[in-house]
Amino acid sequence: MVKKRVPDWLNSSLWSSAPSSATPTTTYANEEQEHTVVDPPIPPPSPSPPTREDPPQPQRIENSRTNNVTNDHNGTSSPPSTDDISRQAQLLAELSRKVIDIRELRRIACQGIPDGAGIRSTVWKLLLGYLPLDRGLWSSELAKKRSQYKHFKEEILMNPSEITRKMFSSTSDTSDAKCESRGLLSRSEITHGEHPLSLGKTSIWNQFFQDTEIIDQIDRDVKRTHPDMNFFSGDSQFAKSNQEALKNILIIFAKLNPGVRYVQGMNEILAPLFYVFKNDPDEENAAFAEADTFFCFVELLSGFRDNFCQQLDNSVVGIRSTIARLSQLLREHDEELWRHLEITTKVNPQFYAFRWITLLLTQEFNFADSLHIWDTLLSDPEGPQETLLRVCCAMLILVRRRLLAGDFTSNLKLLQNYPSTNISHLLYVANKLRVQSV
Amino acid sequence: MVLVLALGDLHIPHRAHDLPAKFKSMLVPGKIQHIICTGNLCIKEVHDYLKTLCPDLHITRGEYDEETKYPETKTLTIGQFKLGLCHGHQVIPWGDLDSLAMLQRQLDVDILITGHTHQFTAYKHEGGVVINPGSATGAYSSITYEVNPSFVLMDIDGLRVVVYVYELIDGEVKVDKIDFKKTSSTHPAH
Repeated sequence: MVKKRVPDWLNSSLWSSAPSSATPTTTYANEEQEHTVVDPPIPPPSPSPPTREDPPQPQRIENSRTNNVTNDHNGTSSPPSTDDISRQAQLLAELSRKVIDIRELRRIACQGIPDGAGIRSTVWKLLLGYLPLDRGLWSSELAKKRSQYKHFKEEILMNPSEITRKMFSSTSDTSDAKCESRGLLSRSEITHGEHPLSLGKTSIWNQFFQDTEIIDQIDRDVKRTHPDMNFFSGDSQFAKSNQEALKNILIIFAKLNPGVRYVQGMNEILAPLFYVFKNDPDEENAAFAEADTFFCFVELLSGFRDNFCQQLDNSVVGIRSTIARLSQLLREHDEELWRHLEITTKVNPQFYAFRWITLLLTQEFNFADSLHIWDTLLSDPEGPQETLLRVCCAMLILVRRRLLAGDFTSNLKLLQNYPSTNISHLLYVANKLRVQSV
Repeated sequence: MVLVLALGDLHIPHRAHDLPAKFKSMLVPGKIQHIICTGNLCIKEVHDYLKTLCPDLHITRGEYDEETKYPETKTLTIGQFKLGLCHGHQVIPWGDLDSLAMLQRQLDVDILITGHTHQFTAYKHEGGVVINPGSATGAYSSITYEVNPSFVLMDIDGLRVVVYVYELIDGEVKVDKIDFKKTSSTHPAH
């Protein structure tokens, strides 16, 4: 039987999972060296993220926050090299044009967005279509969207008590005036059969009580998001207000989208967006981060909604079919690995790929790395879904030696706790997969 | 937004065997934050049933209650309101609004909830408001046989209370509401 040959470039030692050995001579190589101190496997190698503070830099803007977790890296960079500066300069140049060329932006952003000067925040907003391409329209668009969000909040987060009070405020005022100091209180009819114990489907009270289940779920999940980061978790006022913002966004999303409501995992997709927007050095943007995040979240999720809809699980657009496509992609590029993984060791891709795909790889890498992966996911012209599959395929290929040597248990363990890797390297391989399949 | 259920005078099992089915279908756990019961349940099973609806249960003793340890009167604070609870057989003449107003001033509460007459009333005077939720099972009283099952649900929201009155009339549940506001946090000096 003719086995599809593993392409030569794959077999080279360059693509092994050992992080320090990989130094392909591309722009990514230069980029590795200039990455912030937070990136894990820069030579000298140390696979786990080093736990040290970011060195204070002149560009460092977020000094006041006590972010001592390495994952937080706001506006700092290690001594920038020409390449890093050039990319930053390119992006800034592109962003300062009157009308932004989205294709050019995607091309630069695909290689990675530097962490300083709020560039990532603005670029993500452009890539997700929140900001229009014409700079002149930015302020009016932002104002419109932000006030729309405020309106949503007022409408949707009201409890039924307040709603009834608003609806009937006129009648109650007059009855107060007529009320004497002594005497039987006058009874009035309720309207539309609205009372707190109503079991009617259209009753606001009934809907409110049904929603409390979802609100409780959202509350629990938000409290569990990134417990290791001061930004999200802990007792500080800052963390609590961030959690409150996340909750509001998820509740409003669930109420506006009764088809999909809230599914566990949406909080994980929301977290990086909110983090990036909240840490924008521009004060106004940071203040309105909640509103901006809401719309970008809706946009981002619109491509992936089908993954969260249980009824669609088995359909052509559902998560099962996406996982099957990943499997197919692996088979195309590395049949030997595919055969070993799925047939010999019977590792069903659903065991590991489900989390990779639905949570957009936020759970597989540390926070800083997942931001970097998202840069590529959002900017790739093929779209986030396709890019995601290629990245997942690359993840499998990078550890192929260990997978080929392992059995069911060890492979599953490896894939469910994916080892920390050089991200640029991973993205490079993913990129190459595109070239190959054309 | 705090939902408080006020009911009483069920007289189970002596004068009635259970709450009306239509009431029972509406009273589900998870919606109500407090239950205030005027008394005359009369047995422990009813107490347990009410506990399943809401863990925060306040009861005062009626003359036929088998549990002797319930207090004669009780006061509690919910939100901005002070509520007082008493079965009402101790206040004579039974159901007399002036005498109940005296009790309310004694207890120093904004809303006094009493029972015993098995008739719903909501009465306002200078010292506050007196509410009688009636009998939740429609049991006959010492005064009359013509009793409609009724209970009261209060929605306390800041300084405003909306009282929803649930009555079973001719087999149908009728709901009315009563709105009133507290003018300030202190009692008017009358």
